[in-house]
Amino acid sequence: MANEVKIGDYIIIQKQNYKKLHKFNKSDSSISLGRDTINLKGLEGSPYFSTFKLLPKTSRKNKEFTIELADEAVKLKDEIDIKVSGNDNRNILDDGRSQKLSAADIETLKSDSNKASDIVETLISNSNTFHNKTEFSQDKYLRKKEKKYFEYFQVVKPNLRIISEIMYKLEPNKIQNLRIDTLSQIITTVNIHCEGNHLLYDSGSNGLVAAALLSVIGQNTTGKLIHMHPGNMSQKQALLAMNFPEEQMSRCVSVNVYSALRQFYQGCDTHKTADTEKSENGTEENPLKRKNDDDIEEHQSKKNKQDDENKPSDNINTNIDSETPRENKKPKWHFDNIAAAELLHKKMDSLVIACKEDPQNIFSELVTFVKPGRPFVIYYNVAEPLQQLYMTLKAQSNVAALKLSCNWMRNYQVLPDRTHPEVMMNASSGFLLSGYVLNK
Amino acid sequence: MSFRSYKDKIEEGDTAILYLSNNLYAIDVQPEMKNKKGELIENVYQTPFGALKVKTLIGAEYGSRVELSKGWGHVLQPTPELWSLTLPHRTQIIYTPDISMIMLQLDLVPGSIVLEAGTGSGSLTHALIRRVRPHGHVHTFDFHEHRSKVAQEEFMEHGIADFVTAKHRDVLADGFGEELNGKADAVFLDLPSPWVGVPHALAAIKDQGGRFCSFSPCIEQVQRTCLALQEYGFQEISTMEVLQTEIKVSRRTVPVRDLSFLKQKSSTSPVEEKPSSETSYVVGTWPQSTPGHTGYLTVATQPPYARSKAKKSKPENDDDKSSSENGDKMVIDETV
Repeated sequence: MANEVKIGDYIIIQKQNYKKLHKFNKSDSSISLGRDTINLKGLEGSPYFSTFKLLPKTSRKNKEFTIELADEAVKLKDEIDIKVSGNDNRNILDDGRSQKLSAADIETLKSDSNKASDIVETLISNSNTFHNKTEFSQDKYLRKKEKKYFEYFQVVKPNLRIISEIMYKLEPNKIQNLRIDTLSQIITTVNIHCEGNHLLYDSGSNGLVAAALLSVIGQNTTGKLIHMHPGNMSQKQALLAMNFPEEQMSRCVSVNVYSALRQFYQGCDTHKTADTEKSENGTEENPLKRKNDDDIEEHQSKKNKQDDENKPSDNINTNIDSETPRENKKPKWHFDNIAAAELLHKKMDSLVIACKEDPQNIFSELVTFVKPGRPFVIYYNVAEPLQQLYMTLKAQSNVAALKLSCNWMRNYQVLPDRTHPEVMMNASSGFLLSGYVLNK
Repeated sequence: MSFRSYKDKIEEGDTAILYLSNNLYAIDVQPEMKNKKGELIENVYQTPFGALKVKTLIGAEYGSRVELSKGWGHVLQPTPELWSLTLPHRTQIIYTPDISMIMLQLDLVPGSIVLEAGTGSGSLTHALIRRVRPHGHVHTFDFHEHRSKVAQEEFMEHGIADFVTAKHRDVLADGFGEELNGKADAVFLDLPSPWVGVPHALAAIKDQGGRFCSFSPCIEQVQRTCLALQEYGFQEISTMEVLQTEIKVSRRTVPVRDLSFLKQKSSTSPVEEKPSSETSYVVGTWPQSTPGHTGYLTVATQPPYARSKAKKSKPENDDDKSSSENGDKMVIDETV
């Protein structure tokens, strides 16, 4: 991927610690950050890591901004000179009278000023107590205000780390609370690398697990990934966001689990016979309709919207309804099913399951495709179904080194003389059941 | 040679992992070995379940069962994860929970160029090689000459030497070397004073930027490292701890104590005051004792402009310390 922002790229807009994924599909596309709307005209062609300054279109009041390339983000602390600080807070009273400006005054100040430092400087100079606060406390105040009035953002290239972070922060339940450290364990536990055929069943991570595995399989390598899903379209938000080149993306075969297994066991589709296509479509849709629960439907409607934005060439699994009418040209999913079944015949080098359903049946069906000696891992956001599966597998003795584990992660605030764990931590990130498949 | 690609059968010269009721052993698959006197004798591996004639492993499928005189086990092909659990310790090592996060935080993919200091026992190095091959490369350094040599030999034996360059070098004192300037996508430091290594990382990372990660057991090291990172223009500096706990699963039968009969006078005289029945649950037990701390991971991004910015501010530093080119390292040392 080139080092400059191109139209069609997924990009990350980062404003301080806030990151947003955006598809840059036209040169003057707009993005909303909080309550602000920002027109990204001027972004195209600029190198990643560029910093831009937000310029109010008219006044700050209507929250519309254009952008201008900046050398670097200026910190409030560097713009505002603080001369005096107190030693402690013994003389500071919270009587609501320390700020001389009224709420209305502040509102006008906010909409009239064009610079964050002007606003904050005025606030400080009208505060009776600011200069009695300790240095640490003043620093904290400035950091808080900076967050509120920050006028810069940076454009960053998406990668697995950033996408995982964004998706977990935004809607953890959409990716089954799969936190970045647990995701990293999945990749290593099943020894995903540039070679081999890897099997994934994923029923709800917005493509995050598939994106993780495919990124580690890498560009211009021989590794392949079968991405099985229960719906009639794969969830691929995260996959698309990675801006994988066509060559890499084509080695991820996304298939409906019913169609792929039917193809494997019953072998209805072949490359040659065109006349079987119609009947195949009939059988194709039924199980899917039965399957659709609320959750999947919800994801799919989202997917649909997203797909509209994308060129057909990006699609790995095309919509059945839109593709079937053309009789002589078979839809892509038809070939994907055949490709997946062929790979399954060759047997797989790893198995990853991240499901919402009971993992028992899914595991016992899919594990038969895994070569002996190869690792597997199952992610579930609560422990009980995995505990149950653990007992089942222990009794069957067709796997070794069975292990149920849980990950824990804590972030730290590191500042001179003020280092401590962050006050809030993400305490929920599911469980992993892992092991190795044995020769039966 | 079993570290490179997956294969189906064990060959002579492989390292095979023997899995025996929750214990792992790495076995060199050589039919013969030298005894203390230097004579060739049959290679017999002693396990708690009896002796294993190593010769019998040759030709066996990975994942298959191995009979021992007092039981059985299974043989697995080594992965970096299994290797971390069985490798001969020459130093303290980093384990898979941290390794996994380090690799994701460093944005490593096949093709990445990554620098590691120090090599230690090669636990992380094996995982890094697996992640960046086939067209990436790991440059790993250790200031301990023998250790570096042993690691290098190990990479040869494991058939992965073409993806790694192991050198004896004191990175804190001498940097990564001029030939690596601007070559790395990522730098990993596991050193006693990582903050001294920050400017070396700055020099080694590519023009378009890259990632930095330092593993330190103590918070004081983290604080100094964060200050150095800030000073040299790194961004997104973040410190975290990652732990993994294994949960023991078992079926537990528990007694049921019925108390409801006490509400009425019992018709049948004396009711026994003890549990009336049993029920069972599948339970997950959290360990009483588990690793509570390994090390802090401090990660940061080096943006493309960090190096030129650091250069601009450098002359001031030099003036301060009234030293020229040679004094560079001292300047770095004292700025912390």
